[in-house]
Amino acid sequence: MLGEILHILAAAVIAWVLFVTVDIFFGLPKAGGVSGASAIARDIEAGGGALAGGNMMGNIVCSPDASAGTLLAACGVYVAGIPGGLAAALMVFIGNRICHDPGYAGTTGAVLATFIVYGFTLVGFAATDFIAGMVLAILSIQGLSHARASRLLARLWRVRQ
Amino acid sequence: MILALEVTFGLIALAGAVSAALIRDSYGKLISLGILVGGIVPFIVDRGYLDVAIAVSLIAPIATIFVLMAVRRDEA
Amino acid sequence: MIALYLVAAVAVFAVARALIERNTGRKLPYVNVMNFAVAGALVLLLDHPLSLVAAAAYFVGSTLEANAIASTYAGGVKR
Repeated sequence: MLGEILHILAAAVIAWVLFVTVDIFFGLPKAGGVSGASAIARDIEAGGGALAGGNMMGNIVCSPDASAGTLLAACGVYVAGIPGGLAAALMVFIGNRICHDPGYAGTTGAVLATFIVYGFTLVGFAATDFIAGMVLAILSIQGLSHARASRLLARLWRVRQ
Repeated sequence: MILALEVTFGLIALAGAVSAALIRDSYGKLISLGILVGGIVPFIVDRGYLDVAIAVSLIAPIATIFVLMAVRRDEA
Repeated sequence: MIALYLVAAVAVFAVARALIERNTGRKLPYVNVMNFAVAGALVLLLDHPLSLVAAAAYFVGSTLEANAIASTYAGGVKR
């Protein structure tokens, strides 16, 4: 049981790094995009956060991004291996377009996550570890302290710029 | 589903329903309805009604969007 | 199986935080966490290809709903 918990925590770290990197690479902390995301960013800033981080968190809420891609890819790999993960990537892509999001952060995150999760299943991890791990990762960004998370994301965004 | 999980998702649905009744702000009410649906869908999937789950998951958000359209027309 | 309990616990925590928070713009990220958790739980509950579709449909639907609420809260899209 302890082993599984450690696997889940390790998977959470891997998922966190993956989705934050892909999202920042695709410029999610930039302003613009959907109007709802900006509204969320403003409220997060009003609560003591950083605007760039708030923009990214707003974009995560309003459209499937790499975090959603990672979660659904892990679910896909659990259900049907690599084809399952790629099917999930396709569904994330469709979801992006339904939400009027022209970007590729979600699809890219899903495809990358498919191969990463599958690779880790060959060395002792279970795909379910990544499902739970990704949920923990998103909890750490969107579910604990919005102010602190947005400031961390803003700092990482400055590194990219 | 084991009892603990049933209770958990049931509590989520109940919390959504109660807060939808008690919260005054309109957006808060709509968000609470979303929480309610989120608590219900696991029960549907657990019983194997996957097609029903897919239908509910697509229809409930669209219903929320219709409500938003109706509210905006009222404000306008 | 721990994964499923963990995910359910995260869902409850997120719902509690969402209901305590008063500001709509800050409620939405908490609800977003719940949606992640429920989507994961759907696949963990029933290991079947269609449950992946159900999880994807639930997640995309809930994201679309959150997007609609957020953009109406923001003042709407001028059509």
